[in-house]
Amino acid sequence: MKNLVIGATVLILSLGILYAGVGLEFGAPPFTDMDDYFVSHGQEQTGGNNIVTDIVFDFRGFDTLGEATVLFTAVLGAGLAFRKRREDEDYEYE
Amino acid sequence: MIELVVHAAVLVGLICAALLVIHFRDLLSAAIAFGIFSFLLSLEFYILQAPDVAIAEAGIGAGLTTAIFIVAIRGTRRMEEVKE
Amino acid sequence: MNMSKIVRSAANLLFPFILVFGFYIVLHGHLTPGGGFQGGAVIATGFVLMFVAYSYDFITGRIGAESLHTTETIGLVLFIVTALVAIVFGVTFFTNWMLDVGPVLNNPVAFGPNPGDLNTAGFIPVMNLAVGIEVLGALSVIVLYMLSGTKEEI
Repeated sequence: MKNLVIGATVLILSLGILYAGVGLEFGAPPFTDMDDYFVSHGQEQTGGNNIVTDIVFDFRGFDTLGEATVLFTAVLGAGLAFRKRREDEDYEYE
Repeated sequence: MIELVVHAAVLVGLICAALLVIHFRDLLSAAIAFGIFSFLLSLEFYILQAPDVAIAEAGIGAGLTTAIFIVAIRGTRRMEEVKE
Repeated sequence: MNMSKIVRSAANLLFPFILVFGFYIVLHGHLTPGGGFQGGAVIATGFVLMFVAYSYDFITGRIGAESLHTTETIGLVLFIVTALVAIVFGVTFFTNWMLDVGPVLNNPVAFGPNPGDLNTAGFIPVMNLAVGIEVLGALSVIVLYMLSGTKEEI
């Protein structure tokens, strides 16, 4: 009985995922105004041939600044977590 | 036609690599299988015409994540030594 | 704990080629697929390959966490300073000011597919280099910190 319930759940879930994968239309976004603007004006406004880099560093520069901040914070967190304490350093665990 | 065959081969290889990750008992083998999974995933991104994401996936997924797993496995003991 | 001689030889052989490929991706970021983040991740993969192949003491004898941290900070400062210089020329923060000033990195680009010229795209190559060395330092130093946290078995 338990196996039957688990099997039915797995079957329904996989059928649902399969239906979602088949039903989605790949590469056809509903709103394309922004994409058309970037593709037609990006090259002459920034001068770079790679549109992706033009968008990441010029049109969406603040996003890249935020990404750099996230990476810096991640390094600070890793440094705090894995820092080796010196022998003479006093540290009381709570 | 040949593109469809390559695409299908990459997808089948992805599923096989993902099954191998949970099949292996040895941690190092599982980590290497995960690296193969990430490499095939970056090939899939390249086939789907996203070369930027493919390079990022190959660098971070196949390189750094596998290295972090291996660094973590270094701190453990092999399975055979524990049994004795 | 060093890994076996096969792993160390393969790492020694692959290391310079990974560096060259990574810097190619960073410097050609405005022409070909890739950019600062992807190139920096590839270079960091080369460094991490050496970290995994050799022991922690061998690595820290040659390159320290401090220098990698300094590399990351230099990249971040270069990124923000390049964005801030735009204010000097009377345009807003993060404007592509190099397109208005001087002949450096300023060749015009024709619309559509073209062979590509490195001397284009204003401050985008500078930003690519800044983000590239920032990501290189950040990802390498994270793995180096994790390596310092594990127990060394000799």
